[in-house]
Amino acid sequence: MPNAELPPILVVDDNHDNAEIIRQYLQTRGYPITVAHSGDEALALFETVRPAVVLLDVMMPGRDGWEVCRIMKQHPTLGRTTRVIMVTALDEWQDKREALQIGADDYVEKPFDLPTLAATVQRNLAMQRAMAS
Amino acid sequence: MSESILLTDSDETALEPAVRQLDGWAIERVTAGELANAVAARPGVRAVVVASSEPDVLRAVIERAHSGGVPVVVACADDTARRRAVELKAEEWYRCPADANEIAQRIRAAVGRGSPPGISEDRVERVEYEQMLHDSLTGLPTLPVMIERSRSLFKERGELVVLYLNFVRYSKIEEIYGWEKLDAVLETTAAAVREFLDDTAMSTSRLMVSFTNDDDFIFFHVPATGVAAASENEITDMVSRLQRHVAGRIEAQHGEDIAALFDIYVGRAHVYYNPKIRLERLIYRGIREAANAARSIEERERGRRVADLRSSLRDRAVYVDYHPIVVTDTQEIFGYEALARGVMRSLRSPEVMFDVAAEADLVWELSRLCRSRAIEGIETRLQPNELLFLNVDPHDFSDPAFNEDEVKYPERVVIEITERTAIKDYPKFRERLRIFRERGFRFAVDDAGSGYAGLGSIANLEPDFIKLDISLINAIDTNFIKQNLVETMVRFANDHGAMVIAEGVERAEEFKTVKDLGVHLVQGFFLHRPLHLPLPAVVETVRR
Repeated sequence: MPNAELPPILVVDDNHDNAEIIRQYLQTRGYPITVAHSGDEALALFETVRPAVVLLDVMMPGRDGWEVCRIMKQHPTLGRTTRVIMVTALDEWQDKREALQIGADDYVEKPFDLPTLAATVQRNLAMQRAMAS
Repeated sequence: MSESILLTDSDETALEPAVRQLDGWAIERVTAGELANAVAARPGVRAVVVASSEPDVLRAVIERAHSGGVPVVVACADDTARRRAVELKAEEWYRCPADANEIAQRIRAAVGRGSPPGISEDRVERVEYEQMLHDSLTGLPTLPVMIERSRSLFKERGELVVLYLNFVRYSKIEEIYGWEKLDAVLETTAAAVREFLDDTAMSTSRLMVSFTNDDDFIFFHVPATGVAAASENEITDMVSRLQRHVAGRIEAQHGEDIAALFDIYVGRAHVYYNPKIRLERLIYRGIREAANAARSIEERERGRRVADLRSSLRDRAVYVDYHPIVVTDTQEIFGYEALARGVMRSLRSPEVMFDVAAEADLVWELSRLCRSRAIEGIETRLQPNELLFLNVDPHDFSDPAFNEDEVKYPERVVIEITERTAIKDYPKFRERLRIFRERGFRFAVDDAGSGYAGLGSIANLEPDFIKLDISLINAIDTNFIKQNLVETMVRFANDHGAMVIAEGVERAEEFKTVKDLGVHLVQGFFLHRPLHLPLPAVVETVRR
């Protein structure tokens, strides 16, 4: 059951199966989850969901995760408070520099295992709370 | 104009004051059961606030409202309601109880976003536009917005003064400290500018500010009716007060090193309304003219600085501050980085000094002076077990005057080479390094990890020390990607028998994080400011 105390998470992945797996896993842990299947959909939902954390797949057709992250981070009010976790096969130094450049806060390596994903979400939520107070 | 109606089933008392904040709105209350029908039946409804926790009511209201193009705000009692609101694609929501400001803001946002079917694309565009209209850092309007706002005033008053504030060397901050630091500095700048405007004497007229998204600010000064535009003197005076105010704020929040980096140059242009010419073109021309004026002032100032540098070189007017580098675990002093500073105020910042030297082709000469000043300190100011970290530009290695015999105690000197300067002839450069190394010098790669290059280029230099780029350390406690990169670097250093130095550690949280990551040495304001080390003899005198 979603827990009223836990803040909303936006999961963005063009692969419906992936998105569904993440949704189910996190939902059973009490997180309120909203899913978007494209960068555009994620941006459309961004202001209404006001997520504390965005799990953002990098490789998506159309607007990719980098672009979505950049736009979210430049949002005048939500940009500061939203933590963005890139979900990607970031194993190169260059990719991580790129992620820093656009303002991402964390990343999960693909293929991810779910406990790692949950731990990553958790530490970012903790950081988000710490920064908000 | 007909009244806009806010339809609601909520009995919150904060709704009345909220609606009063929206110009020309009235509130109409119905029961939850009637709400969906009322949305469709009642003309003039501009927005709906739903408080009902009944899923069916919520669904019906949102469906009816959206088919009529009316945006919906959900007043959520709990998180379940909030989630439902998002799922059903309500335009906005707020958590009850909310104050009037919050509610008004949500209603405004919902209306602004509109809600015809096929909303999705509009919303994406809106999120994109949001960043184009107002700069997210400074909150200041962008130029097109400001031109629109000043249009009618300019027409009415017939004249407009454009002030172009060129903040020089902000880009340098980004180069050295990374974009996050520059963002923070710009934020401080904008806040200081706003503060200044709030109590400036020119507030009798309209004064507006915009931010160009680079490092410049543009002011529009529209004189009040019956009042002459500010005179040249008034503006000069205002600018120097503004400069002091901004510099003071930056120094208080970001330290004197950053404050010493920047200058403001202001150009001015007077624009008169001319009905034959498009108004925005007039304004853009005015901006260009003001920008050029600012630049020519900058040129003049630059000439003066070159003269200052020449006289400083002649008089050897450079002194050295020593910034302690400490062992992370014990916090004992391990060594000092020598920071050369100009005695003249205009050349206080080493970055400024070397910039000026580069323009005047005096880099070698300045480097020689800074080196010899720093090296003097080994004997006169450092303890026998302490190392001296010396910044050396790779170009200095081609200076015939720079050689391995320059220093009496090479084993106490660590030469810092920045990763940023491109090294053209690698084999030759490595050969030079080898000679220095044989004499006992050690090497540090400065700004390591600043580029995309990664670890390969660092391995090439076989450094004894790896100095992490400041941008990796800045706010490292809150960014897990930075932590990962530093962790990688520490592992690499441990494998290669090198030590990692974290530079720019300013906060306790940053210190704790780098310590936990196994960084060997630390340098930064959190532990020590750069010191003007006294001569030991002087220390003795003071003690006695």
